Amino acid sequence: MRFWEKMQGIDRRVIFTLIFASVIVPTLWPLHLPTAITPETQAFFNAIDSLPPGARVMLPFDVWPSTLAETEPMAVAALRHCFKKNLRVIGLSNVAMGGPSIADRILKRIGDEFGKTYGIDYVNLGYKANYQAVLLGMGSKIADIFPTDHHGTRLDSLPLMREVPNYDSVRFILIVSDNAMVDYWVSLVNARFGTPMGAGVTAVMAPKQLSYIQAGQLHGLLGGMKGAAEYESLIGYVDKANRGMDSQSLIHLLIIGFIVLGNVGHFVVRRTKGRGGQI
Amino acid sequence: MHDLFSSHFVVLFPTAFFTLALYSFLYRDNPLFKLAEHVFAGLSAGYYFGLIFHSVIVQQLWMPLTGDHDWLLVFPALLGAFLFARYVPRFSSLARLSLAFVIGSTAGITVTQQLHGLILPQVARTLLPLTSINNVLLIVGVLSTLIYFYFSKPHTGPLGWVASGGIGFIMVAFGAHFGYTVMARVSLLIGRMQFLLGDWLGIAR
Amino acid sequence: MVLAFFVRGPIVDRVSDEALRGQTIVGGIALLLGVFSISQVHWRRIASGHADRGYSAILLVCLVAMAGFGTVQGVEAGGVFDWLFERLQAPMMATMFSMLAFFIASAAYRAFRARTITSAILLLTAVIVMLGRIPMGQYVYDGLPAWTNWIMTVPSVAVQRGIIIGAALGAASISLRVLLGIERSYLGRG
Repeated sequence: MRFWEKMQGIDRRVIFTLIFASVIVPTLWPLHLPTAITPETQAFFNAIDSLPPGARVMLPFDVWPSTLAETEPMAVAALRHCFKKNLRVIGLSNVAMGGPSIADRILKRIGDEFGKTYGIDYVNLGYKANYQAVLLGMGSKIADIFPTDHHGTRLDSLPLMREVPNYDSVRFILIVSDNAMVDYWVSLVNARFGTPMGAGVTAVMAPKQLSYIQAGQLHGLLGGMKGAAEYESLIGYVDKANRGMDSQSLIHLLIIGFIVLGNVGHFVVRRTKGRGGQI
Repeated sequence: MHDLFSSHFVVLFPTAFFTLALYSFLYRDNPLFKLAEHVFAGLSAGYYFGLIFHSVIVQQLWMPLTGDHDWLLVFPALLGAFLFARYVPRFSSLARLSLAFVIGSTAGITVTQQLHGLILPQVARTLLPLTSINNVLLIVGVLSTLIYFYFSKPHTGPLGWVASGGIGFIMVAFGAHFGYTVMARVSLLIGRMQFLLGDWLGIAR
Repeated sequence: MVLAFFVRGPIVDRVSDEALRGQTIVGGIALLLGVFSISQVHWRRIASGHADRGYSAILLVCLVAMAGFGTVQGVEAGGVFDWLFERLQAPMMATMFSMLAFFIASAAYRAFRARTITSAILLLTAVIVMLGRIPMGQYVYDGLPAWTNWIMTVPSVAVQRGIIIGAALGAASISLRVLLGIERSYLGRG
């Protein structure tokens, strides 16, 4: 039997089935594996933990609905940390597709969990187009870019926003993003206005953001679901990200197995064909 | 497990239906997948309309114009309207005014943003003392990567050697990036499974 | 905008602020162009009797429904617009992207071959990082997390920084060409 040739031509639906199984099994029977904390996540935690109660922070939800599995646990954990420390949160979004709705939902859910009041403890500014103009414009006067919040309430009737004319009154910016918005926050806001910031990004974005960490342009980074899981452990609220790490482990091992098996099969077939023989 | 007609199962059924309809593509393309695809595209376009209507037309134009009588807003409102002139052949050149405004101001912001906000800080933090092997590797890595992507001169001689070194660094970085990309894509699947098994069926915590 | 970076003063600041405000408004209205474009395409499909005209009709119904509810009822939580987003659109978008996990696994088995030394380096690094970033990794080998951290903070940062600098130089030069009138492709033909 041409075993390795058969293995090379295996139907991809077999691979899909194995992937499904390796997600479903740990979800149903969790392994509760511990998650080691990376220095970047610790730095992110420390940056927020060092803020005094009552400090105003900005939390841009620059995320698409497609990546909520990674970004929502980060945003939820960051909000829990902020509200636990009685920080006051200004939410907004630079992503038209769902960003302001996602911000609204998460802010309300976690705000209610901690008994926070809209307008005093947190605000959702909503979305405005052209992110470069938005980021620069807020450095001058937030009310010029956002005359109202997401719900249509004038900014000057919101107690929190009466204290925040621009970035000067913001102590820290916690960016949750799945796209290049972090680059713009860093290069426009941190560079021009000096506002310190940290970022929670999808795992695809994380390698690039480490350059900003090393350059001191970002103070802390959460990378993907793992970063969210680490942060959840640090703040003491174990949630979806931690529960997902078991499946993550199994699938990683499976994919490594695929790479090894695929390469072994490829070289065996190539070598045997080179000898002109059968496998 | 939830009862078959419990609130979660019923309330989340439309969500689960379309999720499974999309996953059916993994078996093969089928009408259910196409239906879900077109529903998604329609809802997405409708979302943009609803959001822009409220966040721009109402909150940025209507309310300030009628409430504060901020008449300067007439100019961006006109420029926005000119964008639709492209649908009327006689007036289509008006759309170029709006484009020129947006492109011009974006270009003006970008020039200083890239130089001041990215290049200078990144170059500054690359100028490290050669006191540790990591610092040396960082400097060599940055320079060899920049030289590898410099295609205006052929990669021969010393330039070629440095570019070859750059390939080594680039392969390590891309390998790391691939590992993180796998992590990212897998996380998205885990999220959907958490919804189907946890939120919808209630068989997982 | 370039002047506003270097010069501060009441007139420059005011002009710059109004330009930024104008940009957000024009940029937002520009997004509506996409909505009209997709409506046009699918309306033409229905009018011309295209084979998939049924699906195009469904698309337009969903578009009108979503836009209608959003315009009339509002976009806030609790309305039909928000329900359609939270219960249908967002989960569907998440599902579409989650399918990439299957394709990446299939590609890992069928396409990722260590045919050369450079591709072997790439795959080896990928395996180290994938193992180092999962809890099970430290059970495979104690030093894996440390190796992964080193890979991410030294060679990876070096290359990413080189790419950032190169891309930023490119973006700055394109913008300069636009400002100097050398680059006019954004205006279209003629």
